[in-house]
Amino acid sequence: MPRDRRIYIASALLLCVGVAAALIVRDDYTVKLMLWIATSALLAACLRFVLLIGELNIATAAFYGIGAYTAGVITTIFNGPLVLAMLAAAVVAGLVAAVFGFITLRVKGPYFLLISFAFTEVVRLKYTQSNIIGGNSGMIGIFPPVAIEPYYPAIMIAIIGLVLIGLYAIERSPLGMLFKAIKSNDQIVLSVGISVLVVKVICVVIASAALGLGGALYAHSNNVISPGDFGFLLSVFVLAYVKIGGEEHMVGALLGAAFLTLLGQYLMGVGAHERIFFGGAIIIAMLVMPQGLTGLALQLGRRLGWATPAASLGQHK
Amino acid sequence: MDLTVQLIVNTLQIGAVYVLFSLGLTLIFGVMKIVNFAHGEFFTAAALAMSVVVPWFAKALGLSAIPVFALSFCVSVLVVLALGLVVYKFGFERYLRDLIGSFIVSIGFVLLLEGLYLEIFGGAPRIIPPLIPGVANILGAAITWQRLLICFLALAITFGLYFLVARTKLGLALRAVAEDQEAAMLQGIKYRRVALYGFLIGCGLAGAAGAFMAPLAAITTFMGADFLIKAFIIIIIGGLGSIPGAILGGFIIAAIESFGSYYFDSSTATIALFVLVIVGLLVRPQGIMGHAER
Repeated sequence: MPRDRRIYIASALLLCVGVAAALIVRDDYTVKLMLWIATSALLAACLRFVLLIGELNIATAAFYGIGAYTAGVITTIFNGPLVLAMLAAAVVAGLVAAVFGFITLRVKGPYFLLISFAFTEVVRLKYTQSNIIGGNSGMIGIFPPVAIEPYYPAIMIAIIGLVLIGLYAIERSPLGMLFKAIKSNDQIVLSVGISVLVVKVICVVIASAALGLGGALYAHSNNVISPGDFGFLLSVFVLAYVKIGGEEHMVGALLGAAFLTLLGQYLMGVGAHERIFFGGAIIIAMLVMPQGLTGLALQLGRRLGWATPAASLGQHK
Repeated sequence: MDLTVQLIVNTLQIGAVYVLFSLGLTLIFGVMKIVNFAHGEFFTAAALAMSVVVPWFAKALGLSAIPVFALSFCVSVLVVLALGLVVYKFGFERYLRDLIGSFIVSIGFVLLLEGLYLEIFGGAPRIIPPLIPGVANILGAAITWQRLLICFLALAITFGLYFLVARTKLGLALRAVAEDQEAAMLQGIKYRRVALYGFLIGCGLAGAAGAFMAPLAAITTFMGADFLIKAFIIIIIGGLGSIPGAILGGFIIAAIESFGSYYFDSSTATIALFVLVIVGLLVRPQGIMGHAER
């Protein structure tokens, strides 16, 4: 598919630019900002990945946290290598997701939403009760090895970029089609002899493994993690990224993540009114552009008569 | 024996407020098919309104405690209804039956309202004077008179709602819409109007719960959040959209909480609640009283 190839080439180019920027830019704040956008984008892509099967996974924050804590334990308590920490984070998050998914994906819609919400809160409470991982105050001193520390932002952006491209490739593959088929009508999928439950579990496991890896990367870039970082409110913000960016296409989720992260940083500077602005922004965005930024771009494109490039974003179903 | 009675009395009085709060949430879910995360904000709004209105009425009118509270209660619930109307018109009206869209909108309102409350009322907890002083003694268990009174009032409102839903025409419309929106519309029921009424009744219930909690607890701008999480557990256990389920669930949760925090500690009790939800969903996904839903 030529259009697909164009997207892959464009994203590979973007990835190179990002990595290069992370290597060249010396300003600490700018680099941090880039990393925040990258992690937000990963979170948004993973939440959207489970939206493909039509489920809203509030436990996105929980799996991100499981990855971060796994990596933190390996790095600070066992002094393990960074690669091992990242792999273990992905594997542990994936395994927990397999068990979680196998139990909970039998229900759907509001029930899945609420149960994933409950799961997130249980996991968070468990962290606060476990003294070995720092209880309420969390873990400190999670650093990447000194030798690679200057290159760590570039490595992080490279890995996240590759994971995002991978998620997109899966979405476009036959498996991705199956996810969307389940969203449209799971009975039809069932009727041709495919186990809907297994496919749904696969979807959640893929997203969660990616989240676990992301959590490990975050833990090493932030150096400090605490239970409060992984509450359900994180998933809520991520859902806002996806919704405001537009959930039709992965680009929408990434745009939303970048836009709202930057907006959030700007509002932090404004001060105490952050919540009011953020809440207001979400409501206004939902009222003015129910299809998100990409939907708005699409409409604008149609009106101006050059719908083709923008339209191609939204119209693969 | 005294201890058990005391714990049961505690269960009943915490449970009564939980029930009131969860009834609103479950009613809104039933009629609009949305999970309203902003429900706690209505609760908070009523409690905050009480904290302003009660001292003001006591000063300006010079009445005794009971009429002041009665008046303040009415004013607070009206404030919440007005707020509910605004939230409905500028938010939920366009996202009826859209689970994810309405979820986002409700989170937007949570952030906005919580920010506004903090801006207006400040972070310090507010306290209003007790409704009536004194402690009652039931079978060896101690309970303050005002808690007892509030418990009875909450139960009275619960029965009132039960009557409304079971016996009146509006109740019939609410039930019909919850059962099958399209079929209800075919019967000439105006879905949007019924949804609005359902939403306002739900807000009113949250407001009543908040106004009742005001003299019992320190009033903070985020007191609703705690109730919200418990209410979710209650309506999952009872069955989403089920009114008897919410009543039963409210008392079950209150019992686990008061017995659990006595024999273990409160955060273990909270985890036990979540585990109960997960196990409950596995065994009976539609909740104790819920209908299987497609």
